[in-house]
Amino acid sequence: MLCKVYEITGKFATDSDSGQKLYEMIFPHLEKGESVQLDFTGVGVFASAFFNYAIGQLLQNIDSDDFTRLLDFKEIPQTGLNVLKRVIDNAKQYYADQQYQQAVDTVVEEYAASF
Amino acid sequence: MTTCLSIPKIWNASEDYNKLFKLWEQISNSPFDEDFELDFRNCKFLGHNGVAFLGGLAHFIQHRGGRVNFLWHTIAPSIKMNLAQNGFLYYFGESQEPWDGNSVTYRSDRHHDKSEIMAYLLEKWLGKGWLNISKPLQNEIAGQVSEIYGNAFEHSDSEIGVFSCGQCYPNRNYLELSVIDFGIGIPTKVRTLPTNSHFSSKDALMWALESGNTTVMGVPRGLGLNLLKEFVNYNQGTLKIFSNDSYVKIADNDVTYSKQTINFSGTFINITLKCDEAYYCLASEDLDASSIRF
Repeated sequence: MLCKVYEITGKFATDSDSGQKLYEMIFPHLEKGESVQLDFTGVGVFASAFFNYAIGQLLQNIDSDDFTRLLDFKEIPQTGLNVLKRVIDNAKQYYADQQYQQAVDTVVEEYAASF
Repeated sequence: MTTCLSIPKIWNASEDYNKLFKLWEQISNSPFDEDFELDFRNCKFLGHNGVAFLGGLAHFIQHRGGRVNFLWHTIAPSIKMNLAQNGFLYYFGESQEPWDGNSVTYRSDRHHDKSEIMAYLLEKWLGKGWLNISKPLQNEIAGQVSEIYGNAFEHSDSEIGVFSCGQCYPNRNYLELSVIDFGIGIPTKVRTLPTNSHFSSKDALMWALESGNTTVMGVPRGLGLNLLKEFVNYNQGTLKIFSNDSYVKIADNDVTYSKQTINFSGTFINITLKCDEAYYCLASEDLDASSIRF
């Protein structure tokens, strides 16, 4: 699958809403083991909020090997690559300790339910 | 009833920010529906930070049901000229439209319009030729600074929006931008997590600046402020964040925290960039990144 990111974000890949749209577009393909190529031609500005939702959360259900094997980033400017690398590292760390994560989520849910 | 607020001289030291927070406190402690007059007789200088904050204060007063009356005749001509140039006068009902100069237009955003804000950062702040840097580096700076807006709109719960103003100070060779929200503040937000509920404001601000820390569960996040901090350090800029009763200054590869006397409900961020291309470097602008796998 080839996905032209510009068609979702325009020039600015900076917001979580666009990131979520891209995630919803590519995740079903990756989940089925299909390759996805993300073409960033025309996209010039990047922020972590976009990549957190578009890419970071993929690592919850796609393991690192499949992520590397199936996902190809094409024509991504260096400015975007720097942010993307940080987002991927952060996501790997976030999902690595699932036990810790689940404990935090449970506490937060209990706290929210107490109101 | 009408209260007169005397606007003091506002430059860029932490005590200047505290003067602004005192004005906010005075309004906050007044009854709802109170009207205010803003008197500039004692204001000998009004920096871009003061301009952005006064714009926010005017909205804050109106949001509380009061009316705002700027006593334009009390403003020194040089300050009035600057307020005309940056569009503040026009925004608040005067007839003179802004024009290009050393000011970065005053703006008020009620909602997060990505395209509008990016155009502001790229064209009105970075695109005036004050910083002689490459387009990719402009894009990188805009991306980092856009995180401030993203945080303000997503986390602050500001009911009146976000206020911005900037300025190039050619004598000092600085390019500045202030972004302010009148929401709950970063420390208050951080303390909404049960595990953080005991944090002091300083601890909370430190926590927020660390990589990967976020109050939002379910998606890995928490990089925006950390990336901005790294960027500022890397390019020898200065980042000041005032939020609730805490203040952090990031400059010269040093991070300094201090407690403030006034507990401002909101977040005031000022970023200072040096107008000298020698300070800027995009680690690998010339790398061929045509196709990447991780």
